[in-house]
Amino acid sequence: MRSLLDYLVKYSYVFLFILLEILSLVLLFGFNDRQKLAFVTSANSVSGSIYELFSNVDVYFNLRRENTLLVEENARLRSMLYELTDSQTVDSARNMSRDGVIAARVIDNSVRKDDNYMTVNKGSYDGVGKGMGVYNSTGVIGVIMASGKSYSVVMPILNGNTSISSKIKGTDNFGFLEWSGGDPYTAQLKDVPYHSNVEVGDTVVTTGFSSVFPENITIGTVADVQRLSNGYTLKILVSLAVDMSDLGWVYIHSKTVDPEIIDLQQQLK
Amino acid sequence: MDTFMRRFGTFVFVALMQILFLNRISLFGYVTPLFYIWLIVRFDSYMKRTGMLLWAFSLGLVLDMFSGTPGLNAASATLLAMVQPGIVKVFVQTERYEQLIPSSATMGSRPFAGYLLLMTVLHHTTYFLLRSIPLGDWSVLVLKVIFSTLLTFIFMIVAERLTSSSGTKR
Repeated sequence: MRSLLDYLVKYSYVFLFILLEILSLVLLFGFNDRQKLAFVTSANSVSGSIYELFSNVDVYFNLRRENTLLVEENARLRSMLYELTDSQTVDSARNMSRDGVIAARVIDNSVRKDDNYMTVNKGSYDGVGKGMGVYNSTGVIGVIMASGKSYSVVMPILNGNTSISSKIKGTDNFGFLEWSGGDPYTAQLKDVPYHSNVEVGDTVVTTGFSSVFPENITIGTVADVQRLSNGYTLKILVSLAVDMSDLGWVYIHSKTVDPEIIDLQQQLK
Repeated sequence: MDTFMRRFGTFVFVALMQILFLNRISLFGYVTPLFYIWLIVRFDSYMKRTGMLLWAFSLGLVLDMFSGTPGLNAASATLLAMVQPGIVKVFVQTERYEQLIPSSATMGSRPFAGYLLLMTVLHHTTYFLLRSIPLGDWSVLVLKVIFSTLLTFIFMIVAERLTSSSGTKR
């Protein structure tokens, strides 16, 4: 009995090893629930605030470029505003005001993994919630995956699980934008009907079918069109408008969906 | 023999280096150095095995929190800490094993380089294997392991040069 106890004490590290490995593997394979993921990733306040601290320093080095982008966007918005007052009725302006925009800063980002995530410094306290679209002045970035109190994790286009409803600008041919790893500048537009008239250089924009993004936000330009052998759909390579590796301020689109739409969708389920 | 505070210093150093700098490196979209295993590489033979495991596990867990990969670094780092004493013994004569912090001074530069390489290959293989489950493309996995190993190896050689020449051990 004594020697058995000695034996157990001597090799206690083996049991510890097994315990720690089981713990790690449970963490690794058990967290499929994306909501829970928020607490072990950078949406938790500890690592979120540390990232923000370093990002606060980082942000100064990009000020000049950020300013240029903001000025450009201001100019564009101004011109849109004039158009609006010139030609559009008050009624459609009221309609647009239901779309809210929350400005946030990217404080952590990755582009090289198979499934990338990024963290922004706005959370549920700021009105950010799951499923909201994220974009900046150059184009679409991704969708909010989970929100903590003051930080949120974004599932960008560069994530195998992302699928964004997109269309060719000026047409009604739509499909889904997906990404399958590798090149962080190119994604694929799938399920566009075979007969669609798509050419290299066409602009790809959001559809606005869902409440995730407003309509006509730029996603990228068509780089290549492949006709799949199944004969039903096209496979389109899209070169992304946004440089995912270089992000500062972003906009989060928070649209209050008309209760009637939600009601109808519920009834169908 | 490393004191607790000194080891804690190394812990913070490799963690910050990995999180703030190395995690942002990505050559060709795939290759990332995982230099943080330096902490485990430098475990000395005075340490208790349970201590080694706990140090490695906590380091892995901290890195996981910042990389959005729960359990991945923790699992591979703990495994490496488990096999570390065995691997040291492969590269040094048994009588010298009694008191040793692995370095080129204590082991000789060739055995030390071999030791670093084997440790890195083992760690990176488990790391990338676990990360790419369910297994897709074998060739990509092998490329990731090879090139990341090379990069980590270079970083560790530089770290070894720096610590041995300055006299202050990290």
